[in-house]
Amino acid sequence: MAPSNNSGGKLTERTVLVTRVFDAPRSLVFKVWTDPSHLAQWWGPKGFTNPVCEVDLRLGGMLRIVMRAPDGAEHPMTGVFREIAPPERLAFTNIALDAAGMTLLEGLTTVTFAELGPERTRLTVESRAVARVDFASRMLEGMETGWTQSIDRLGEYIAKLRAVR
Amino acid sequence: MTPDHLSATFSALADPTRRAILARLALGEAAVGELAEPFDMSLPAISKHLKVLERAGLIARGREAQWRPARLEAAPLKDAANWIEHYRRFWEQSLDRLGDYLRELKAKEKEKKSGPKQ
Repeated sequence: MAPSNNSGGKLTERTVLVTRVFDAPRSLVFKVWTDPSHLAQWWGPKGFTNPVCEVDLRLGGMLRIVMRAPDGAEHPMTGVFREIAPPERLAFTNIALDAAGMTLLEGLTTVTFAELGPERTRLTVESRAVARVDFASRMLEGMETGWTQSIDRLGEYIAKLRAVR
Repeated sequence: MTPDHLSATFSALADPTRRAILARLALGEAAVGELAEPFDMSLPAISKHLKVLERAGLIARGREAQWRPARLEAAPLKDAANWIEHYRRFWEQSLDRLGDYLRELKAKEKEKKSGPKQ
């Protein structure tokens, strides 16, 4: 997917897998994912709004969302549809940009809609993400060896020390 | 935090001496001489490590004293460790909101259906 993926045999990506079951028909869940007027209502973390939400639901069509954080900061994101199989599957790239338009993160996200019943749908989001600079591989390797845990502990320890002062 | 900053953070942390310096600074600020003590290293070598840590934003150094005591800056460490967790939380929170939104739609639909009867 991302060009950085081809730069060597190193592990440079990480997969996030999230599953939810909704009490709603599969066709409706698929619709709220692909209709921009619905998508804008829920996309993004808690408290965020989406002042820009454009969906060109075709293979190769663009997805463009600008998220606005509660503090007013805007987080643009673009992507391209790679697979559209209503109402079962959806795959798209998602590229998070910083304010200057530089790529922070590139992901390939596959969404699967499984019908559990007429009013019950299991949604699975699998997102392979890779950061576009070399920090990603270092970070991911580090996670394997566990040193980030020590960093976390170190950070917490520092916070404690500061609180005592 | 931008990837460039994170990149600097990770290259700075890649070295065991620099990680040991950070661990020492977690206990409080220290001058170059103090930091050099546990290592079999010259002061200039330690200064070099401190420069890398300073450029990565992991430590700050006093301007006033001749010895320029170094102290830890915690924020970049936290950011580096949490990057993938941020991404996971993005999806988890989005899907939580999707669930809320679907419930809202259902409630509205019910209202519409029962509307004429009321």
